[in-house]
Amino acid sequence: MKKIKNLLLFSYAILFIFTSGCAGVKGISDAQKHSATVFAMDTVMDLTVYGDEKVLSEAENLIKDLEGKFSVTLETSDIYALNSSKSAVVSEETYSLMKRGLEICNRTGGVLDLTVYPVVRAWGFTTQDYRVPEETELKELLAKVDHTKILLSDDRRISIPSDAMTDLGSVAKGFTGDRLMELFAKKGISSALVNLGGNVQALGAKPDGGAWKVAIASPKGDGSYAGVVSVKDKAVITSGAYERYFEENGRIYHHIIDTSTGYPADSGFLSVTVIGKEGTLCDGLSTSLFAMGPEKAFELWNNSDDFDAVFIAEDGRIYVTEGVKDDFSPLGEYAGVVPEVLYHD
Amino acid sequence: MRGLYRRCCIMIKTKTWIAVFAGLLVICMGLSLWIFLKPTGKTIANVYMDGECIRSVDLSAVTEPYTFTVTSHRGTNVVKVEKGRIRVIEADCPDKVCVRSGWISDSAAPVCCLPHKLVIRIEKNAMIEEGPDAVSE
Repeated sequence: MKKIKNLLLFSYAILFIFTSGCAGVKGISDAQKHSATVFAMDTVMDLTVYGDEKVLSEAENLIKDLEGKFSVTLETSDIYALNSSKSAVVSEETYSLMKRGLEICNRTGGVLDLTVYPVVRAWGFTTQDYRVPEETELKELLAKVDHTKILLSDDRRISIPSDAMTDLGSVAKGFTGDRLMELFAKKGISSALVNLGGNVQALGAKPDGGAWKVAIASPKGDGSYAGVVSVKDKAVITSGAYERYFEENGRIYHHIIDTSTGYPADSGFLSVTVIGKEGTLCDGLSTSLFAMGPEKAFELWNNSDDFDAVFIAEDGRIYVTEGVKDDFSPLGEYAGVVPEVLYHD
Repeated sequence: MRGLYRRCCIMIKTKTWIAVFAGLLVICMGLSLWIFLKPTGKTIANVYMDGECIRSVDLSAVTEPYTFTVTSHRGTNVVKVEKGRIRVIEADCPDKVCVRSGWISDSAAPVCCLPHKLVIRIEKNAMIEEGPDAVSE
């Protein structure tokens, strides 16, 4: 008799814990989840935080502020001032990003170059008035491309040669992600995910402690996925030829310019995804590893310990670096592909 | 003898009550499970113009495919709806990125037309969500 009564009480207790547990899970994911959409830096940005909603408006201000400093076309921006006067004292943010950006340029041996803007502009990728420039024109423009001629001095002054132009576009969204993560962490948020026009960056894990699942877009550019990678506290940034391109006389010209030829990089990759703690680095490297092609890209990774990557090659193969080999799974048309794992020598 | 009989009766009654409560308990547990874990089965796509939701479509309730047009002073997009998915099929924007994005059927990535400030987003239902949290592209 007593046994049955105890059993009954026990069941009630289980029932109580179970139902309240469910409600709790629902509470965290629904009640504390806040999202915002921001149109900035020529793209759509999705911000999701778990916690205080107020941080979203601060995040929006941060994004608009950075856009106002990094924009090439806005006449009040640091970069506009630098490009028009060739020498300017800039904000802390512009200075930090330029400094970090140049370090990444050096690391890629100039495959990433923050002065490539005149060439990209000649192709029409900045204005969408696409055209194929003459070879002589490209040669002339390439002569102006040299990131080693950007000079930084301690008083936050940046100087560039009189015929050069600079653009932080290849690292600006990554940097914005880093600053957003700092802001969220400072405000006591431990779980957040931002998608800055395809540049995904996560703070911490999901509210339930699980990893964020970030899909890698199919290089076909049709909205399907080539795979999914599980991450915590990391940026996942993909560069591919499919993102921006135009067709002329049956040829496809995409927006990732090879800084040695001035033409779109013909590297053997369809897309490169870089995964790491620092958004700025991932952003800069995704473009340059794509442009480098397999041999050089794999070597650069082998000499590094601060990022991982997923490479999708033109021949249908997928290469993943050892740090993410257990976190990546192919999907869709790549579902049957067994990724080749790259190990450090 | 009589006392024993009465005790038996009480015993039976108590056992019956326990059985009834146990039955209720099972029903309650089942109900709570159902209430908290049941998939709602709804896939809602919201269409936003400059951040404002202008139209909401229950994709799970679509039987026949159809199209509708979204027009603003910036331009026009033609949206096609099928059961469980949605896309832009025509637009007079310069880059046509929205058209090239193709179909979406989960909340991982929205369809965006930047020149027209149009966003089509499938809203996430935390309880039935199985797709990725975001798309790196």
